Amino acid sequence: MRTWLRHQLGALQSALTRLAAQPVAALLTALAMGVAISLPAGLYLALDNLGRLAGSLPAQPEISLFLDPAAPPGARQAIEARLKRPDIAHARLVGRDEALAALAAAQDLGDVVAGLPENPLPDAWIVQPQDTSRAALARLARALGKLPGVSEARLDSAWAERLAALIAIGHTVVWLLAALFAVALAAIAGNAIRAQVLARRDEIQVSRLIGATDRHIRRPFLYLGAIQGLLGGLAAAGVLSIAGWVLQEPVARLAGLYGSTFHLAPPGLPELAVVLGLPAVFGWLGAWTSVARSLRQVEPPR
Amino acid sequence: MIQFSQVTKRYPGGHEALADVDLVIEKGELVFLTGHSGAGKSTLLKLIAAIERPTRGVVTVSGQNVGRLPQRAIPYLRRNIGLVFQDHKLLFDRNAIENVVLPLDIAGVDRRESLKRARAVLDKVGLLAREKANPISLSGGEQQRLCIARALVSRPALLLADEPTGNLDAGYAADIMAMFRDFHQVGTTLVIATHDERAITALGGRTLHLDHGRVGEAA
Ligand SMILES: Nc1ncnc2c1ncn2[C@@H]1O[C@H](COP(=O)(O)OP(=O)(O)OP(=O)(O)O)[C@@H](O)[C@H]1O
Ligand SMILES: [Mg+2]
Repeated sequence: MRTWLRHQLGALQSALTRLAAQPVAALLTALAMGVAISLPAGLYLALDNLGRLAGSLPAQPEISLFLDPAAPPGARQAIEARLKRPDIAHARLVGRDEALAALAAAQDLGDVVAGLPENPLPDAWIVQPQDTSRAALARLARALGKLPGVSEARLDSAWAERLAALIAIGHTVVWLLAALFAVALAAIAGNAIRAQVLARRDEIQVSRLIGATDRHIRRPFLYLGAIQGLLGGLAAAGVLSIAGWVLQEPVARLAGLYGSTFHLAPPGLPELAVVLGLPAVFGWLGAWTSVARSLRQVEPPR
Repeated sequence: MIQFSQVTKRYPGGHEALADVDLVIEKGELVFLTGHSGAGKSTLLKLIAAIERPTRGVVTVSGQNVGRLPQRAIPYLRRNIGLVFQDHKLLFDRNAIENVVLPLDIAGVDRRESLKRARAVLDKVGLLAREKANPISLSGGEQQRLCIARALVSRPALLLADEPTGNLDAGYAADIMAMFRDFHQVGTTLVIATHDERAITALGGRTLHLDHGRVGEAA
């Protein structure tokens, strides 16, 4: 155990020394990685903010509950009781006369309405549910639609559905991009490591001659790949914070024009951990494949 | 400890460096390997350390068939062997003491203990004052002594030395040979390829003479 730890520490130290020996190359690699990471990460953040914006819009999703004009008073009372349950944030009864008047006023249809022989509108409840997630809304609308005395429950959420669909597509694109750039990342790391392995030919050959296992030889390079990935992640975090800083003011101004206090939210800790951690993992993986291949070049198996 | 039976080594290209070699080296023995340049001395040592594989025949070291050893077992074989290379194989990206410490690093020895042992062995080969020097700034003889120090630092049970005194003046050659005798006396097995007749007569031990890849026991 102590020996194992000593090996790990030794490898880490040697990786850091190797990195410090070529700071410019390390920096350039980190930058290339940072750009590759910041594309999917930036898109993810943009979607995240868009989702938050959609959630904060003043338009609350509503369910309109149209009542059957022939419903008995008992059914109407049961509906009213149902709407007092805690999953309903707010419910308001709009009588048919009030609805007609509102229609006449709002749509400037006074003449048309006045010409009607009788009021075609039913009484209706306008319901604002507590849980406004898409699935919950649909579930509630279905449940309310089945109540006796309700002729129709209409969910007012076309825009929310469309936005949700767009964001879902966006997320798929993020994952595709992330997968693509993860491969690019591993390739960049692998390439950097390959150069390192070839530059350390002598050391590798001599180490083998005096009893180093392949694992011992590989270890510093793996650390090097992981550290290089981590640096790439840091570079990406830098790129993103600069982008956020640049966008902050225009976005706030735009939101101001719409009377909103919306502002860009920086990534949270979990996101930051992913931006730093995943590149490290892929840097490690890239190093692994690259070292395995380059070691065969340095000394082909007998 | 070491046994060759019917060993032939043919290098790619067809040159036969060793032909039908049979020999046994007992544990604790001191054996000199002599012969003209190109006789196959280095090749014989490389076969023992699994640096080359025999084309035919069997090489065993401590009961292990070295030619058939799987790749992953070879490092553990080599950790018990101290190797003094004809061309030193020092690393020029680190100073003298770091070169000596390398085998101990590989074996996972504690750093402070490693440095202590490295200094002790550098002292023995007369290089303690140069511990911080880069090997490239050392003379040929000093590089050779550094290589010897690296081979001895892990106190191997078997020492294979390829022309260890080739570049040394008589004084240092005698010192190095005296060191080898000390190791021999504490039970280390030594196989030394050399042209140094004086050393052979001074130390005694057995001499194997190679002639165009064939072994004869010299008087
Ligand atoms: N890797 C190789 N490929 C092809 N031929 C080789 C190789 N190594 C050695 N040889 C040949 O095998 C023969 C024996 O070489 P070896 O190095 O064992 O000789 P040696 O006795 O150590 O000579 P010297 O005293 O000059 O060091 C030589 O003719 C040499 O040219
Ligand atoms: Mg030789």
